[in-house]
Amino acid sequence: MKNDLQLKVQSWLDGELPEREARQVGEWIARDAEASALAAELGSVNQAMLRNEAGVTLSDSREFYWSKIELQIQREAERNRVHAPVPWYARWRKFMGPALGVAALACVMIVAIRQAVPPTYDEISATIDGMEAVTFHDQSSQTTIIWLQDSTQAPMDQKPALPSAQPQDEPESVIDM
Amino acid sequence: MNLEARLVWGTNDEQGGPNCKPVDPELAATLHRTFKWSHYFEITNQVAAIPEKQSRDLRMSQRCTLRVKNLGGSRVEINCIGQGKEVHKGAYTLTPPSWLVLGGNDTNNTAWFIGLRTGGGRAITKN
Repeated sequence: MKNDLQLKVQSWLDGELPEREARQVGEWIARDAEASALAAELGSVNQAMLRNEAGVTLSDSREFYWSKIELQIQREAERNRVHAPVPWYARWRKFMGPALGVAALACVMIVAIRQAVPPTYDEISATIDGMEAVTFHDQSSQTTIIWLQDSTQAPMDQKPALPSAQPQDEPESVIDM
Repeated sequence: MNLEARLVWGTNDEQGGPNCKPVDPELAATLHRTFKWSHYFEITNQVAAIPEKQSRDLRMSQRCTLRVKNLGGSRVEINCIGQGKEVHKGAYTLTPPSWLVLGGNDTNNTAWFIGLRTGGGRAITKN
C-alpha cells in the first residue's frame, strides 16, 4: 500500500479528516481487506499507547511549579523592556527638562536684576551767563564733579591768574571766613 | 530722601580758619585725587529729610544757598544760588554712597566745594 494511503488510514483513525473525506476513506476501508487490516493494527497500537502511557510526576507542587513559570515570564518581559529601543524624543526629554528649568531660572534672575538696578538718566543742567559748568565722573569713587568757572578764566587745572589791579574783578568768596 | 550737604574749602594753607573741621575721608580722597589743592577743610554740614516732589533750602554760607528738590527715584534738582542769583541749576542722580560735588574758584587761590550725598534709608548724623 502506498504511503499516502497509510497516512490516510492513520488520519481517519485520529479523526483528522474532513467529514466528506472521512466517509470515503471509511467506505474504502470497509471494502478493502488490506486497508481494514492496517486500520485494525493501527487502532490496537493507539489503544496500547494510551493504556500504557507513563504518568509524569513533578517534585514541586502545582502552585509552586506554575509560579516559577510566571516569574520567568516576568523576567523575560522586563529584559525586553530594558533593551527596547528608546525613541529620540524620549532621549531628548531627559536633557531638555533640566535645561529648560535652568533657562527659566536664568530669565527670572535677569529680570530681577534689571528691576533692582535703578535706571540711569541723563544729567541736565543750566548755568548763568558768563559762567560754564564742566562735568566729569571719577570712576574709581563713582563721584560726579561739576566745576563752575567764569567763561573768561583759565581751565581749573592751571593756576589762576594773579590778582589784578582792579579788586572788583575778583569774585567774592563763597566761604565765610 | 535724607540728604547731606557739606561745604568744603580747598586751600594750600596748612591751617584753616576757626570754623574748619576735617573732611569726610572718602570725599577728601576724591578731592585730593582730582584737584590741585593740598588741604581741604569742612566749613558747613547740613542735613535734611526731603520728601518726594518737595524742595528744601540749605544755607551753606552767607553768600551761598542750595535749593534741593527731590524728584523721586534718586533724582534731585539742585539750584545753586549765589548772592541771590541762580548760578547753576541741574538735575542729577544721587546713588548712595557716591558723592555729587559742585565746586568753583574762590579768593586767594582757593576753591569751594559742596559735596552732596543721600543716605538711602538710613539717617545721616550731623557733625
